[in-house]
Amino acid sequence: MAGLGVIVKGRFPKRQMLRVIITNILRRLFFGAARNWVRNIGSIAPALGSMTLLLVMAGLAGLGGFALYTLEQVEAGQASMLHVYLRDSAPSVDVNSLWDRLANDSRIAGVNYVTRAQALARAQRIPGLPQLADASESNPFPASLDVQVKNINDVAAIDAMVRSDSAVDPVYPTSYDRGAYQRIQAVVFGVAAGGLTFLALLGFVAVTVTINSVRAAIHSRRDEVTIMQLVGAPRWMVRGPFVVEGAITGALAGAAAGLATFGLTMAGMAAGSGTFTQFAPGVTVSVAALAATAVFAIGVGLGSGSSLVSLRRHLES
Amino acid sequence: MRSIVEFTGVTRAYGSRLALDDVHLALEPGELTFLVGPSGAGKTTLLKLINREIRPTRGEVWVDGIAAHSLKASRVADLRRRVGVVFQDYKLLPRLTARENVAFGLQVGDVRVSDREATDRALDALEAVSLGDRGSAFPHELSGGQQQRVAVARAMVTQPRVLIADEPTGNLDLETAWQIMDLLENIAAFGTTVLVATHNVEIVRRLQRRILTLVQGRLVRDQPAGAIGRMEWLASASS
Repeated sequence: MAGLGVIVKGRFPKRQMLRVIITNILRRLFFGAARNWVRNIGSIAPALGSMTLLLVMAGLAGLGGFALYTLEQVEAGQASMLHVYLRDSAPSVDVNSLWDRLANDSRIAGVNYVTRAQALARAQRIPGLPQLADASESNPFPASLDVQVKNINDVAAIDAMVRSDSAVDPVYPTSYDRGAYQRIQAVVFGVAAGGLTFLALLGFVAVTVTINSVRAAIHSRRDEVTIMQLVGAPRWMVRGPFVVEGAITGALAGAAAGLATFGLTMAGMAAGSGTFTQFAPGVTVSVAALAATAVFAIGVGLGSGSSLVSLRRHLES
Repeated sequence: MRSIVEFTGVTRAYGSRLALDDVHLALEPGELTFLVGPSGAGKTTLLKLINREIRPTRGEVWVDGIAAHSLKASRVADLRRRVGVVFQDYKLLPRLTARENVAFGLQVGDVRVSDREATDRALDALEAVSLGDRGSAFPHELSGGQQQRVAVARAMVTQPRVLIADEPTGNLDLETAWQIMDLLENIAAFGTTVLVATHNVEIVRRLQRRILTLVQGRLVRDQPAGAIGRMEWLASASS
């Protein structure tokens, strides 16, 4: 008993002290977490599976969203291009006057004159229209002024302004379709809202399952946690390993999901490059790689974040 | 100059039930004090307040100059490194040896402690509780008394200013219980404040140390060490 109270604390050089601190932190936080993760693989498996599924869905939905965004941008560009069809017999002085009026309008980015021959050539590049063009002995496409409007919301006003102009075809004055762009926006919004709702639901399930698996881990190590708390272990040392365990789960799920996302995209591209480009405009190899990286990062964040939430709920200080 | 442990008007309520009611007390360095009272009197609540496992509803709790009553959660570890804890059920980790259990208590409380230092100090602590030769034994290979001594070694290896023990002899036979009490007396003799919650009337009577009696959350008696008083109340309070 004489030893109590006279236990000698040695002094270490600073460098050795630093090595000891780093070794202890690595062992308690990372090695301990990895060992416990392997030990608890049975209770972690459901969280790992649901999180992987969520992340694959998120990756594919992200790519789908990007494709929709690209499509919407293309449509917006096309919708803000107003074709003003010219009357066949319109005198050039009237056409020039209309051109000047449009070119001087501050709402308009540019005006381009398209001849009938150019209109025909353009139509022949559009699927379905070459047959229509060939069916007619003469060129059915009128000359036009292609007006690029700066803001899509001004297209209606420009259309109203030019309709009554003497140089403009009275039967088909312009290409303006009041509801076309709004319909595309509505479809895009609907798809995005549906996708986000589905992902939120799946995310909720994944977070709940992860929280429960961390809670199970906490309960299986209740005594160890209690002793750590009672001997004055700092909070980071008590909670850190659980966060690292969650991050390991998230990282593995993220890596698997990232690879799946990238692999599926590559497979889609390889299967039919033309079709794929039509269905997923803007999605390239680098975009797919970026999506896979994002999926991995989201996995790590989701795993460690879920662990933090679980710790707050189930581990009092 | 504050006492090492000081309660000022401490009340702790669980809902509408008062577990502790306006308790005032002070413990000095090197003092071994018994905390007695019937089950549900508030003994464990009082110990938990010292270790800041819970906060008081009202009043102040000071431990080694730290205001435990208002301590932020992020600072609780600082307080707990000054307070050793011994439980009735030992709370040893079954997959660690006796030496590793003691070293664990040391290393999780202070990351600056190297493996070698932790091992040396753990063996010193085990030597001090007469278990120097059982460092490699796992808890299930030790008797109850030996396990409790390992728990005491773990609590003391960080050299805390205060040691609180909640029914440390509750699971032990009388002879083993006396060994543990000898150990706690020696710890107090080296300057550590020791507070022992117990139902063991025999030990409390024979040691003639300071006795705090709690009944229904109130500190009804504070009998100084060596005082020869009527002991009938003790038997009834401990039943």
